[in-house]
Amino acid sequence: MSTIDQIVFGDNQFFGINHMSQDKAQQLAERFHDLDAIFSVYDAAIDAGLRAVMLNSNSRAAEICDRFRSNPSRYAGLSWYPSIPYPHKYANWVAEKGIVGTLNDVLFQKGRLSGIGKLAQGGLALMSMDIVRMMKMLVDAEMQMFDGLNIKVVFLQNIVTDLLLGLDTADIFREYCEHVRRKYGAMPGLITQNMPYLRNKLMEWGISGVVICSSINKIGYLMSPGVEAYKQALAENDPEAFPMMAMSTLASGAVPPKEAYDFVNSLNIQSVVFGASSRPHIEETIRLIK
Amino acid sequence: MSGGKIRVGIVGAGRMGITHYAIINSHPDVEVTAVAEPSSVMRLFLDKSVKAATYKDAETMFDKQALDAILLCTPPALNHGILTAAHRKGLHAFVEKPFLLSVREGEELAALFDGSRLVNQVGYVNRFNDVFVAVKRYLQAGLLGEILRFRSEMYSSTVVREEAGEGWRSSHANGGGATYEMASHAIDLINFLFGPPDKVAGSRLTHVFSKNVEDVVSSTFAYKSGCTGALYVNWSDASFRKPTNKLEVFGRRGKILADQHGLKLFLDHDDPERGFKRGWNTLYITDVFNSVPFYVRGVEFTAQLYHFIEKIKAAEDRRTMCSFADATATLAVIDEIFRDAAVIEKEMV
Ligand SMILES: NC(=O)c1ccc[n+]([C@@H]2O[C@H](COP(=O)([O-])OP(=O)(O)OC[C@H]3O[C@@H](n4cnc5c(N)ncnc54)[C@H](O)[C@@H]3O)[C@@H](O)[C@H]2O)c1
Repeated sequence: MSTIDQIVFGDNQFFGINHMSQDKAQQLAERFHDLDAIFSVYDAAIDAGLRAVMLNSNSRAAEICDRFRSNPSRYAGLSWYPSIPYPHKYANWVAEKGIVGTLNDVLFQKGRLSGIGKLAQGGLALMSMDIVRMMKMLVDAEMQMFDGLNIKVVFLQNIVTDLLLGLDTADIFREYCEHVRRKYGAMPGLITQNMPYLRNKLMEWGISGVVICSSINKIGYLMSPGVEAYKQALAENDPEAFPMMAMSTLASGAVPPKEAYDFVNSLNIQSVVFGASSRPHIEETIRLIK
Repeated sequence: MSGGKIRVGIVGAGRMGITHYAIINSHPDVEVTAVAEPSSVMRLFLDKSVKAATYKDAETMFDKQALDAILLCTPPALNHGILTAAHRKGLHAFVEKPFLLSVREGEELAALFDGSRLVNQVGYVNRFNDVFVAVKRYLQAGLLGEILRFRSEMYSSTVVREEAGEGWRSSHANGGGATYEMASHAIDLINFLFGPPDKVAGSRLTHVFSKNVEDVVSSTFAYKSGCTGALYVNWSDASFRKPTNKLEVFGRRGKILADQHGLKLFLDHDDPERGFKRGWNTLYITDVFNSVPFYVRGVEFTAQLYHFIEKIKAAEDRRTMCSFADATATLAVIDEIFRDAAVIEKEMV
């Protein structure tokens, strides 16, 4: 099993995601409207020694991937940690067309995805497909933009992971993991806000070799059911079965970096994904993570 | 209840039905045993991936399955019939907003369910948002003194292209439009924090992209106490990537600016009890959040469903944070807005 990078550079800072303040999020979105601004931050991260990138398959990811591919001499050594899907795209789609209508659009309307093309639209076509094949097609559609990059882990976004987790759909998780291993030669990854619950379920289902990425901060923000359960699950965890990656370590800024990483460093955690938008912050974070 | 677990049936496995299924299924005292959903594709997906039995409609589900409670997530025009049947079966009911489309039916069902001591709740989820709950606490404690003015606003980019005018969302008769679908949340928040208005005036409904329903709604709420409030809801504002709630409350002794992520408080006095200073104070969601046992879509979505289950288990007080009666009060305000808007519209031609 390949080991995962100890530090992974994330992307929230680029896309106006800030759980704490909408104004701050908006400022960031404006600043990173320009691809050059995004790449000056990536370059700073790479100069600081980072070699791993997590990127959500959002509306700007394709152009970002293109630029990474277009300069192989500078960017060839990077490992990729894509996360799929882009939740907002589907949220609006589902709001407009319903779940079934959305599946139809994604799977059939865009002939590029399969040989089925436009011919077989509609409920009947969906009925004739098995769920597993549908899931694989959805994954492949989202993964297209990462083509040709060195993929280490493919993460499922927490909104999808946690929905399927609540529905208790063991088979879909099992097939997802297999598909990622076979088709992408990568490790399956699951982002979650319910790490202890997910870890227990995976063990119950006999699924392992999965990277689990979850919020880890000492105030327990976005950590269900709470900090103590996380600490216990981490202490018991076998990192071979479930390499653990921490995100939201600063709890959207509520915890100062030094305190935040003292906490993370004290736990049985294999990797940290963080986002920062300036060279000093990137360098400081790298210094703090042990 | 069988084996101690509360047997829950989901009616309508669309967007909300599936989300609620995932949340409630995590509850250790609950078993989701059945789903009623007319779409055969959705049933096929469920049959292959979840444990619950599926039925094509609620009546068949009620006949075939012994249940304790339902989560009703169908287009609202169907809710009255399904709830009447659920009441006959003696089932507790959680219903998505806007609950119904008629005040009279709301009153009738509130009386039926309360009369039979059946737990009844409607999905006005803001009542479980940690920030808005904190606002309510501060207002009740009199932190701002007498409340004179408020604004309740919501924005999203839900409808940002011409709509074909199809589906249940495209007519008032089926519960579509920005008022039923979105403003109902902002109106309910007003009812929750300040009580229902004594008069509704100056209401306007604006079409941007939708053919048959409004995309923007605004209104003014007047109270005999002297308080006045403004409502403004726009679901066709592409500048908002995520749905956003904004609330401003102005009182004699200070004001509050709040959204789902946090609140700012300006006071003319120190408040040592809560640790607030004179002048500006800021509270982030990270300061006021409560953890929930299982997170899917937001803390408040889990909190509201766990509250429903808690009330089913309660022997004494079964009144929920958002009862059928509460949701009926919100419907009454919506009716007033439509009536008022129609009068103004007529004067404008
Ligand atoms: N609280 C919130 O934030 C929130 C958000 C979105 C929607 N809602 C509310 O939830 C409700 C449902 O909205 P949605 O977005 O899930 O819509 P949807 O169209 O995705 O789902 C409705 C589902 O009900 C099914 N259905 C139709 N007739 C039925 C019947 N007779 N028996 C059983 N099922 C039937 C449909 O096939 C569909 O799957 C609405 O009242 C809406 O206002 C609330």
